[in-house]
Amino acid sequence: MIYLIRRTLILLLFVSFTSFLTYAADPVEGEEPVIDVMGKVVDHEYFEIFNTKIYLPRIFRAGGQWYVFSNTKSALKSGEFEKVDGALVRTDGEPITLDMSITSHLLYVWFGILFALCITLWASSRYKKGVGRTTEPKGISLNLFEVFFVFIRDQIAKEYIDKKNYAKFVPYLFSVFMMISFLNLFGLLPWGVSATADLTVTATLAGITFFITQFNGSKDHWQHVFAFPGVHPLMRIILTPVEILGLFTKPFALAIRLFANMLSGKILIICILGLIFIFADIFGVVIGASSGVVWVALTSALYILKAFIALLQAYIFTLLSAVFIGMAVEEHHHDDHHSPAELDEAGAGV
Amino acid sequence: MGFLAAGLGAGIVAIGAGLGIGMIGKSAVESIARQPEASGDIRGAMILTAAFIEGVALFGAIVCVLLALNITV
Repeated sequence: MIYLIRRTLILLLFVSFTSFLTYAADPVEGEEPVIDVMGKVVDHEYFEIFNTKIYLPRIFRAGGQWYVFSNTKSALKSGEFEKVDGALVRTDGEPITLDMSITSHLLYVWFGILFALCITLWASSRYKKGVGRTTEPKGISLNLFEVFFVFIRDQIAKEYIDKKNYAKFVPYLFSVFMMISFLNLFGLLPWGVSATADLTVTATLAGITFFITQFNGSKDHWQHVFAFPGVHPLMRIILTPVEILGLFTKPFALAIRLFANMLSGKILIICILGLIFIFADIFGVVIGASSGVVWVALTSALYILKAFIALLQAYIFTLLSAVFIGMAVEEHHHDDHHSPAELDEAGAGV
Repeated sequence: MGFLAAGLGAGIVAIGAGLGIGMIGKSAVESIARQPEASGDIRGAMILTAAFIEGVALFGAIVCVLLALNITV
């Protein structure tokens, strides 16, 4: 135990020392080093690994015409485009109207899809051979897969969606869980980017949930939206707009929740590591660098928390998707809470 | 001015979310103490409700970040 603590302390000292070295070795000519907080979080046109930047293709539409360049530099070299405030603009002043470029976040989404696809295809090939169906599941990986799958199916899908048709939604819920987990966990890798800290990614996922919810909505779901049963007709003037608004606020909250959780985790880590430089500015480099021991330890703790939150947020997204789908596909038994007259009006036995 | 608003806003958001999640935790622990065999269901409901509160709190937090970074949407 003491050996472990000593090793951890040496490691922490080493880490804080290297941060001191990089800070001291960075020659600043006449200007303050600025840590670009949002620059670490936002999307880029390059894919960074081992400190090298691989520039990705740019595909966009400007002035009613499509342009395809192998990267931003070649777009600038062609002379047709110039950089204004960090964004590409055509030399005659026509801005980009539709940007379909492949960015780092998009690449990480593809990685997430690929990982989820590989794991599920591998597991399904094992199950087709009969391993896990006729015999017990073999190996750590298959057992782990089964733990997650059974958890999604029994604790989320079966619990919140109607017993009759929950099986239809298990594939979506499981794949969205796997994908979000991978996307969140990619952010913990060195040079890694968590694509879920981008509102467009989470909004797309929430949009898929929204469409699945609406297309599978039962008759009762739509009746509750447009003509709420069991209330005075005049009340429906107020209730119908509220219910229609409610259709859209649910996926909106879903998107914002995942996005804000991942973003705040990243900003928090950058801010805490930034305290080293703030301390160095106020009290001098020595105190700043040695206070790094505290901040690096705190950041390590936050990393463990982030690894937990990555899975928790994937679980919450899946859970809430299941709850919303379950609310839409549920067929109410109107006799519990509506008058017989309402029942006749709505068509008895819905 | 934006910084002041962002700081105050973040604090108020934290108060609200803390109160809400604290109340959930209180009642969940009480219910588990009263009925330990239902702890699984209670835990699920607790996480679900906490997620809703967290979502609302994060709306506020995002607005504060936008204020502090001076981003006009």
